[in-house]
Amino acid sequence: MSPKNNKITGYDFVKKSAGIEEYTLRKNNLRVLVLEDHSAPVATFMVTYHVGSRNEAIGYTGSTHLLEHLMFKGSRNFNKDKNTAIWTELQNVGAQINATTWNDRTNYFEVVPREHLDRAIAIEADRMRHAFLRDEDRQPEMTVVRNEFERGENSPFDVLDKNIWATAYQAHPYHHSTIGWRSDIENVSTERLKAFYDTYYWPNNATVTVIGDFKKEEALASINKQFSEHSKSSEPIPPVYTEEPEQEGPRRIIVKRTGQTGIVGIAHKTPKGLHEDTYALQVLGKILADGKTSRLNKLIIDKGLSTSIFMYDFPFLDNGLFIAYAFLTPGTDHKKIEEIILKEYNNILKNGVREEEIKRAQAQIRATVAFSRDGTYAVASALNEAIAIGDWTFYTKFMDNINKVTAEKIKEVIKKYFIEDQSTTGWFVAKEPKD
Amino acid sequence: MSTFSSQVIINDDVKGVKTYVMPTGAKDVVTIYGSMLSGSMHCANTNSKTAALVASMLDKGTKNKDKYEISETLESVGAELSFSSTRYHTNFTGFCLKNNLGTVISLLSEQLMAPSFSSRELSTLQSRVCGNLERDKENTKKLAMIHFLRTLFPKNHPNYQETVNESIDLVNKITKEDLFAFHREQYGLGSLKIAVAGDLNPEDFNKQMLDSIKGWNIKDSSIPKLIEKAHETKEGSETIQVQDKTSSDLYIGQSIGIDREHKDYYALMLGIYILGGNFSARLMQTVRDKQGLTYGIGSSISGVSFGADGYWSIWGTFSPDIIKKGIAATKEQIDLWFNKGVTQEELSAKKTTISGSYKVSMDSTGGLAAKILSNAEQGRELTYLDEYPKIIESISLSEVNSAIKKYVNPNKLYMVSAGTL
Repeated sequence: MSPKNNKITGYDFVKKSAGIEEYTLRKNNLRVLVLEDHSAPVATFMVTYHVGSRNEAIGYTGSTHLLEHLMFKGSRNFNKDKNTAIWTELQNVGAQINATTWNDRTNYFEVVPREHLDRAIAIEADRMRHAFLRDEDRQPEMTVVRNEFERGENSPFDVLDKNIWATAYQAHPYHHSTIGWRSDIENVSTERLKAFYDTYYWPNNATVTVIGDFKKEEALASINKQFSEHSKSSEPIPPVYTEEPEQEGPRRIIVKRTGQTGIVGIAHKTPKGLHEDTYALQVLGKILADGKTSRLNKLIIDKGLSTSIFMYDFPFLDNGLFIAYAFLTPGTDHKKIEEIILKEYNNILKNGVREEEIKRAQAQIRATVAFSRDGTYAVASALNEAIAIGDWTFYTKFMDNINKVTAEKIKEVIKKYFIEDQSTTGWFVAKEPKD
Repeated sequence: MSTFSSQVIINDDVKGVKTYVMPTGAKDVVTIYGSMLSGSMHCANTNSKTAALVASMLDKGTKNKDKYEISETLESVGAELSFSSTRYHTNFTGFCLKNNLGTVISLLSEQLMAPSFSSRELSTLQSRVCGNLERDKENTKKLAMIHFLRTLFPKNHPNYQETVNESIDLVNKITKEDLFAFHREQYGLGSLKIAVAGDLNPEDFNKQMLDSIKGWNIKDSSIPKLIEKAHETKEGSETIQVQDKTSSDLYIGQSIGIDREHKDYYALMLGIYILGGNFSARLMQTVRDKQGLTYGIGSSISGVSFGADGYWSIWGTFSPDIIKKGIAATKEQIDLWFNKGVTQEELSAKKTTISGSYKVSMDSTGGLAAKILSNAEQGRELTYLDEYPKIIESISLSEVNSAIKKYVNPNKLYMVSAGTL
């Protein structure tokens, strides 16, 4: 591409990778990622704020998520009084619209028929700095979010997962789940939420992604027009400086509730998502539990000991967890499953993995990456997670890095991270229902 | 812009199979959706779980490959093939890179045509399926739905549901011989439909696909005739106790006595969509957004395909402490909707929602293939997908409000709640 094509009024061109271009809006440092894709008459617009539940602390856990809910209650130009409520404006034209919150980010998105892209841009620009955030809206929304929390608590897996993270991370805010603790959801004040909004919802703490059937110059001009009214934040965005102290011994937790079957989760601490070891851990996860030929499938599922098994090894901005989860069949002993999983980790530590296992894992990841380009929302969604961990090119370079993983590297990461003293093991034990 | 139907290449050169191929701008990826008539409603000679177990056993080995060889073939190229079963169909889906399409087609045909049904694999599968069913005993939403449908429909109706314990018993009774017999009687060409979208050449796909299944037995498959219609819904309620649950689930609704081919279907569907079809519909705007009583609530028409008379229902989730308030607020909305009807403004908004959703659903190869197959299964021409927004546009306000009055009776609703109540 010639440099001329990157000259867009109001923007600085930053870089390009896999067809995706990055620009910075000069006025306020809003980062914009853009990719034209004319496969279908559709466009996806997404705003990712670099704030998630890692930016919360005791007393206001779950605030990022509660704030995300309040962001749909109206803003200066889009509200019920003007008959321009956000849901109505977008759903009435057939758009898919939603928002999600996780450890490291909050994202708002719209998948729209191409002719309505400007409407999505206008809504997101308006609520970036002009959301109402009224107490009269927080009160009914708090009970909505509390019911979301209660629904999560209905699930034995969700409860066990929360407990494993809370046990593995004691100082770092990954200790609490994104939904937060119930009493914080119930009691956090509107003022606290507003302060949160005024700290983090600024163009210089956000990345806008626009993918789909439009002309790049027109989409960028529309973003410029709508978002340029905002200034940069007057204060620097506060960093999270809490680090998890070194774990000095294995940890165990047991959750007992009325239920039917058990679950085992074994977690080990992993490095930050952008660390070079992430790629070997991803390949290892595939070798262990993805597909019927994977090692733990043969050892556990094929023996009828579990109904399913999967690896939870998502890369985060800070250190994370590599967790093996097994859902036991009735009558299966938790201890037995735990021993099988740990024995297999030791087996890999001693004997390594086979070359063909690596090739197969790479092929599986290659197809997953290709399907993450199938549709404008798929691309935006994959980019969103890469943006969250600090470098959107993590997405575009992911496959190249996966291809570099060797058997030696896998042995190295299992030796480095799969240490008993760094582990947290959780059991969900189903109690017999009372008569 | 060209019509949707003009972008799909249809082939019915081989008797008993129809392919729908849609090349798109997607790079490298191909998605396959397919089905044939052989669902649980075709289990007249065996128990109703046989169809599901046959479908689940298709990836457990063929006459020439054991399950590991099948998995190795797919996983070595990152492809996926999966099989499932519904009331009327065995369904399959495939995802692969374009260079591996030939491998997937060949494996798909082999798995459909020549499964091995080993006793050992059946036993392992039964234990896994029953493990999952045991887990359903603590799933408040599923339990509420099962009890709701058992009340509305008679045992031989496609919308009827077995209890979890009945399902476990049925699954455990199935033998290897049952699987072979069902496969022999129901699987074959006749009703096979395959929709594929993505980065592919239609001629190449059709040649490979049709060559691989040519000569398979022809079956005279059809949709089983409905023996008995829904019970007339009587007012009533039921509570399912599930211990240690912090949230409960609720179903309210009634049978409607019509299927989706009925002239009133679209009008009633639009009316129910306005009540609770999406976030901007009445139930979410009032019971959730204004009153804060629920995380999610919505309404829909279901179970109306293939000649079955269906039902309309509202599903909602509530904290056990406030479920009574939630039910009262929901009933208030039903009464308001029934007594005063919907407005022209609401109807116009939902019409544009539906025509815009149609475009948005074209965003991925999976969305396209699913849409094409579902339309074909209903026995409709592809042009129906182009005409659908116009059909919706033609429905008038009076038709919608008349349909609500005709098919909904707020005094005869059945309600099931499940949770720690």
